[in-house]
Formats: sequence, C-alpha cells, structure tokens
Amino acid sequence: MRYVVGYTANARGHDAVHLAVALARNHDVSLDLVLVIPEDSPFNAVYPPETGYDDILNEQAQRWLDEGLALVPADITARGHIRRGDSEARTLIDASVEMDAAALVIGATNSGLLKRFTIGSVAGALLHSAPLPVALAPHGYRRTEPITRMSCGFGTRPGADELLDLAVESARDRGLPLRLVSLLALDGGDSPELLDAAWMHAAQRIAAVESSSADELLTEPEIVVAKGRTIEEAVDRLDWEDGEILLIGSSRLAQHRATFLGTTANRILRALPVPMIVVPRDYTRQSS
Amino acid sequence: MSTAPKTVQSKESSLSEKGLKAGSVGLIGAVVIGVSCIAPAYTLTAALGPTVSEVGVHLPAIFLVGFIPMLLVALGYRELNNAMPDAGTSFTWATRAFGPWIGWMGGWGLIAATIIVLSNLAAVAVDFFYLMLGQLFSNPDLAGLSKILPLNIATTLVFIAIACWISYRGMETTKGVQYVLVAFQLLVLGWFAVSAFAHVANGTAFDATAISPDWFNPFAVDSFSQFAAGVSLSIFIYWGWDVTLTMNEETKNPEKTPGRAATITVLVIVIIYMTVALATLSFAGVGDTGLGAGNPENQSSIFAVLAGPVMGPFAILMSLAILSSSAASLQSTFVSPARTMLAMGHYRAISPRFGRISPTYKSPSFATIAAAIAAAAFYVITRTVSENALWDTITALGMMICFYYGITALACVWFFRAVAFSSVRAFFFKFLAPLVGGVILLVMFVKTAMDSMDPEYGSGSSVGGVGLVFILGMGVILLGVAIMLVMYRLRPEFFKGKVLTRA
Repeated sequence: MRYVVGYTANARGHDAVHLAVALARNHDVSLDLVLVIPEDSPFNAVYPPETGYDDILNEQAQRWLDEGLALVPADITARGHIRRGDSEARTLIDASVEMDAAALVIGATNSGLLKRFTIGSVAGALLHSAPLPVALAPHGYRRTEPITRMSCGFGTRPGADELLDLAVESARDRGLPLRLVSLLALDGGDSPELLDAAWMHAAQRIAAVESSSADELLTEPEIVVAKGRTIEEAVDRLDWEDGEILLIGSSRLAQHRATFLGTTANRILRALPVPMIVVPRDYTRQSS
Repeated sequence: MSTAPKTVQSKESSLSEKGLKAGSVGLIGAVVIGVSCIAPAYTLTAALGPTVSEVGVHLPAIFLVGFIPMLLVALGYRELNNAMPDAGTSFTWATRAFGPWIGWMGGWGLIAATIIVLSNLAAVAVDFFYLMLGQLFSNPDLAGLSKILPLNIATTLVFIAIACWISYRGMETTKGVQYVLVAFQLLVLGWFAVSAFAHVANGTAFDATAISPDWFNPFAVDSFSQFAAGVSLSIFIYWGWDVTLTMNEETKNPEKTPGRAATITVLVIVIIYMTVALATLSFAGVGDTGLGAGNPENQSSIFAVLAGPVMGPFAILMSLAILSSSAASLQSTFVSPARTMLAMGHYRAISPRFGRISPTYKSPSFATIAAAIAAAAFYVITRTVSENALWDTITALGMMICFYYGITALACVWFFRAVAFSSVRAFFFKFLAPLVGGVILLVMFVKTAMDSMDPEYGSGSSVGGVGLVFILGMGVILLGVAIMLVMYRLRPEFFKGKVLTRA
C-alpha cells in the first residue's frame, strides 16, 4: 500500500512526514513524498523573457526532497517526486490517484489571506474533492512512533455506516484498539433513547463487520459520547492518547457552508491534539 | 514491514517537466502576451511627452525608427535564448561571451532597468489611482492628492509593497484577466484617438495641427542629440515586444506561432502608437503652453492631462486602463529582477542569499524583497531631488535599456562568432542584426549619457550643476561598478571565471 505525502520544505511538510511515518509503522506501507512546484502561466507575461529559472527551481526542489526523504527512518520505504501544477491540491490529488495511494498525508498549518499555496486552501480543496482519505497532521507534529489507538467519530449523517465499517477494518488490520466517539449529541439528539439507539446501531455494525472476517478485534470497541455545543468543544472535552488518530467523515466538516470546510477542519484541528483522517463520502477501502 | 532502500525517482521526472505549460498558447494568446508586456497605455502616457519634448512633431518618425534597433537586438536575444536558456539571461550570456566583469555589468544593467521601470510603473499607477478617485467622485481635489509629496511617496511605497507581496506569493495573472486587460487598453486608446480627431474635425481641439508628411521623416529631426534621445526613449516603448519571439514550447505551433505573433504584435502596436501619436499632436500641438504636448507640465503623464479634455466624462476609462495595465505590469515585472538576482546569487556573483527560494511559495524570496526595496529607494530618491521625477526616470530608463541590450546584442555576436559565417541565416541572425542593433544602442547610450550632463536636459532637474538624468543613469551604473568591486573582494571565485566559464 502507498501513502502520498504532500511535502513542502517547511514546518508543515515536516509535520506531514512525521505523521506519514507514524501511520506507515503500523502497516506495510511505502511513502511517496510529492513536492509540488508551480507551473508558470505564460499569461503572467514575465518580461524580460527567460527560461532558465526552472532549472534552478528544479535543483532546489530536488534538494528539498532529499531533505524530506532524510526525515524518513531507514525501516520505511520512501520515494520522492517533483510535480508541476497550478494548484497544489489538484496536483496532489492527481498524483495520489495516479499512484493508487491509500491515503494522502498533509500538514495542516494555516496562514495567509490569499491562498494559492497555503494549507488553508489546499486542505479545503482536498477535503472537498479528494477521492481518498486525507490525513491532516496538526501543527508541530513530531511523533514518529506507531499509532496506538484509533478513534472514529460517528453520527447519523449520510456515510456514517461506511465510515464505521472502515474504522473497524482499519483498526483490526493495524491491531489497534478502537474507540467510537458518538457525535450524536451534535446532530441534534440528546435524549437517552437516541443514545441507546446509537449505541445499538454501532454495536450491530461492528458485529456485522466482525462476522464477515475470520480475524477479531483485539479488544471490544469503547464507545464514548462527545458533548458540547460545537464539534470543537466536544473534541476538546474528550481524552486523547498521544498516539491516537481520529477518523472522521468529510460530510461532518461540510456541515456549514461548503466554502468554510477547510476552516471547520482547522478549528477541529486546533482543538484536537492528535492527527485527523478525513474520509470522503462513498469511499471504499483498498484491500491491503 | 519493508526494509527496501529509499530510492529517489524524481530526478528523471523533474527534468523532463518544463515550468511552462506546453502547447497552451495560440496565436491570439501570444499576441495578447506581447501587447501586455509592452503595456501600450502605460508606455504611451509615460514616454509620449518626453519624446515630444525632444523631437517635436517628428514623434511618429522616431516611433517608427525606434523599432529598428529593438528588432535587430531581439533577433540576437532569441538566438541566445535558444542556445543557452538561463534565468540570468543578459548576465549569463555576457559572462559566457565576454567574461565575468562585463557579464556582471550586463546583469546589473538589466536589474537596474527593471528596478527603474518598477518604480515608474508604481508612480504612474498612483497618479492614475488618485486621478480616477477624483473622476469617480467628481472632486479634482482628490486627483491633486498625488501632488502632495509625502502622500505620493507613501502611496507609491504601498503599491510597490503590494505588488512585491503578490509576486512573492507566486500569484499570477490568468489568461482571462490578461485578455480583458489588453482588450480594454486597446479599446480605450482607440477611443482616445477617435475623440481627439473628432475634436480636430469639429474645430474644438486645443491647438489643431494639420498632419504633415514631414512628421514621418526621421532626418528632419533638428540634431543628432535629439535623435539619439528620441530613439533611446522609443526603445522603451517597444520594450516587451521581444517576448513573443522567445515563446517556444508553450505555443501550440512552435514553428510558426512566435514569428507570426511577433509580426502581428508589432503591427498592432505600431498602429495604436501612430494613431495615438497623430491624434495627440493634431489635437494638442507641440506648443509649450496649456494642453500642448510640449508643455513641460504635461510631459510626465500626457494622458493624465489630455484624457479629460479629449474624452470628456469617459476619461475615467483611460485612468482605469492605465491603472490596471500598470498594476498588472508592476506585478509581473517583479518576477524579472528577482529571477536575475536569483541567478546571480546562484552563480555566486552576488551573495548566495539572493539565490534563496521560498519553500512555501517556491518563488525567489530574498531577491523579490530586495527588488522591492531597491525600487522603493530609487523612487524616494528621485522624487525627492526632482520636480519631475517620472520624466527623468523614463529618460534614465531608456539609457539603461540601451546599455544592457547593447551588451546583450554584442554578446550574441561574440558568442556565435565561430558560426557567424556558416550559413546565410546565421550570418543575419547571429551576426549582422545583433551587431548593427548593439552598436546603434551603445551609440545612443553614449550620446544620451553625454548630453544628459547638461543641467537643462530632460525635465531640467539638476544636482550640483549636472543633469539629473546623467546622475540617475551613470550613477546607477557606477554604483554597479562599485558593488562589483566589493563582490570581487568578497567572492573572487566568480570573477576568476570558476563558476561560469567563457565559451
């Protein structure tokens, strides 16, 4: 299995590499570091004309990639790629599809107002349109040890069942304990009946997934209920392990106006001390 | 878990990929790019007045003659660009042909020219920004704000800073925006010309002057000094045209598109220049009072003065056209000095800090900011010592373009000397055209430099009894020499020819 890492030679790129290494360590995964450099539009009308800047930029990009690859420990296979594209997000998606990657890992540091090459827009565009799960490393992510627990946010939104299936399968493959975080309270219902129903529903899905496979989960999934007025508040009140990762559906982030999708993700990330994997709706998992 | 060794595959893939989208530009697109690089609305408003003050009614003749050296040098530029594509352009080529010292000065000339044009573009944009505010709110006081020196300087610095920031962020003008900007410029310039001729026909022109065949006779210009000054100014108005010739992979048909685009671009430009020049002269005459094109008050920005009387309430369109085209040029022109400095830093001809590239935006970081600081400093100095800064910077700019283009053209001749007589094509494009073009430009440069010592030259600003244009032009070149000598002490390896070798 391959993970594509959106690499830039700054803190955000380092966060992404660290997270990718942590994710790869539970799994037989190789990493593909992709560095996107911009494609000059001839309509920018640069004058006096020159054509050699590319060579210098390519040389620099190559050095950056080598630095990025040096961050990957020797026990993990990693390759570097330089790609050209107007949009960093689009180019990363194209590379991921082309390489048949199982996930795309990026750093989530946000900055700037006009966003062509900032993660605000990159994350936003990716969360909108990526056909594969996108792992977002929080700012300053340094941990490269294996992931220790998987959490999955579930509710009643469309795609919740598929997400749950994916979480169960991933946790089982990786031999990780699974924690189900009910976001039901956020979806409007707070009554004990609804919570019971949600619990039952989750248990049924888990049973269904387990029965379809010979393997078993290491431990029975823990189910917790997240409470709060907003998703960030709910996330903030939960306990998180250092080596934890949160799986969440993309429709969860698109609950407000779609243009603010990246903003919502960033707000969650700010509250969330651990990385987050955003799974697109209708995503079906690659078998490893 | 896999323990396979890390492999780097990117080297192969990266070199095959070009930075420009291949085959994305058709004929019309190439013409649009060419016209946009020339930015006719901006060049006309900046150069028309100063040129009239030198050559009077022979403006059309000089505009036509000025194209010849540009054409000759551009042909050589294209040969060098095909043989040695390099971000350093004039710097690298002159170094390869004549060694590090002349190469360094060629690079300096290019950087200086682009820095000067940056500060001039920003200043013109600011003038028309306030003029447009005045027109928008029908309040001439707002337009007058650009005359208040501290406010003018502050606004110009803000414009430079914004353009620098946009360029640093790697943001580009898209195809659609560029088409609209170019079409709008041509439309408004055409409108101006038609309105001016209508005033002449109706007898409402300021100083109706009948067009005479003599206007097209370059030999009727009074003196060689005026001729040289006029030609070095008209080099500036065609500066940008040669971009069409150097387009290759990005065009849909690299065999034919660049040549055709260059031809159509120059036809479009000559037609619009001739029409506007004739319209301006017919409407306003060359008198030195009132709206006359020879009035020193009007020289620095002719359309700021004439658009209102000629176009009436629609003059705001002229302000908008010049503001938008100079703002777009300001942003795209930032790329060039930044990349030349980056190349010079890369080849260790200046501090390697200039070779830094932003990891986030993948643009030259240090060099872009350095270009902005230099353009800002140049503007502040010029504006403070000269009453008519725009006029003097344009004249100094013409000199600087003659200087670095002359060096580049002769570098072409010298670089290709071994193959100059191998074919008829090589003889014309690699030898004769650049040789004649380069010699003409360097003669114009020397003549203009000598004449500009006169304190009455250009706008008549002077420092210590020497004309300001000379101080600006030669001062910048001597500053280059001084910095070059410092660099020789600090980083001798480049100057000993260890980095870039002579071919």
